[in-house]
Amino acid sequence: MKKLTLFALLAMLSSGAFAHSRVDTTAPHNGAVLAEVPTEVSFNFANDIRLTRVEMTHADHPSVQLDLGELKSFERAFTLPLEGMGPGIYRIEWRGLGVDGHVMQGDFTFTVE
Amino acid sequence: MPDIWGQAAILTKLLLYVGALGASGLIIVQVVFANATTSLTQRLRNQTVLLTALALVASLLGFMLRGAALTGSADGMTDPEMLGLLWQTPVGDALLYRLAGGALIIVGSLMPRFGQWVALAGSVLLLWSFAKVGHVADIGPFYMRLLLLLHLLGVAFWIGVLPPLHRLSQTPDLLSQAAKLGHQFGQAAIIIVPALLFAGLGMGWLLTGTLSALIGTGYGQALMVKIALVVVVLMLAAANKLRFVPAIQAGDANAARHLARSIQIETAVILAVLAATATITSVLTLPN
Repeated sequence: MKKLTLFALLAMLSSGAFAHSRVDTTAPHNGAVLAEVPTEVSFNFANDIRLTRVEMTHADHPSVQLDLGELKSFERAFTLPLEGMGPGIYRIEWRGLGVDGHVMQGDFTFTVE
Repeated sequence: MPDIWGQAAILTKLLLYVGALGASGLIIVQVVFANATTSLTQRLRNQTVLLTALALVASLLGFMLRGAALTGSADGMTDPEMLGLLWQTPVGDALLYRLAGGALIIVGSLMPRFGQWVALAGSVLLLWSFAKVGHVADIGPFYMRLLLLLHLLGVAFWIGVLPPLHRLSQTPDLLSQAAKLGHQFGQAAIIIVPALLFAGLGMGWLLTGTLSALIGTGYGQALMVKIALVVVVLMLAAANKLRFVPAIQAGDANAARHLARSIQIETAVILAVLAATATITSVLTLPN
């Protein structure tokens, strides 16, 4: 029975997508291939959220936290300045809080040639 | 697959369910079946306080884990800015209801005479917290929240009968009380089980909406796993009601052992149902 419980729990954990990550669009969009490093990244969400963390990872460098500065309100659209680190794959991971209390998270990548 | 904070949140929620439903259930069962449970009053009171303490700890931990999910690191658990943010959302309201409900239960459990009514009020408050936050609160009209409360009261009642029934069926001198409690619960179940299923399936229907969403989405599939597990619980409960309890009433001592074993299995499957529920309500998005 313990095994059954554990199995059910594991089966549940592995099913479905991790939730509440309803980002509508990002710029650059996920998978974009660009000639130059963009100077900013922007997010558009389906609902108001408060961004709490945005991290950027470039190639093999350790991830850096992007400055959220004065962004301390619930909004649908955010634009953050980006410090370029040359060509390579950039991965942006974000976390935020929905007004309904849901924690949201997601990520996207783009490539600079 | 949710990240480490998402997984910790599911486990914490499971503990919260066990604590909140278990404590509320023991209170309800002692109010409804006062005669059949008198010999266990002290024991059930201790269990109620322990389960409530579990619910309180799990509530606080769950709240702090949301802080960690917001920053992606453990320091978010004590980050005043993150916790302050959460406090302003329905998650903060739910925590307040849980703390207040849990405190009422503990105070009520330690009070003589009218204490059980205080504890009962506390358990309704505690269970109502689940209607303050989550999918049902997000999209549902107000009657959905009432359906959820009804569903939770029914689940709590069902869970709450298991510890006293298990204990009585393992105590040779108290078998007649086990038979009495089992019989009375069996009678009540004729009303409660259909109400529980009606409320659960009703909410499931309102949340998923269509048959294709039930089959084609992670949420719908998880819901079906939960329903399948509930069917197993129903079958065990039917065996208890139709076979073991009448046999104990007829004086069959072996039947008490079978009943005790059946309750153990039922408890394990109920834990799996609660684990499925904790997952559904934590990490799966609604189909729409």
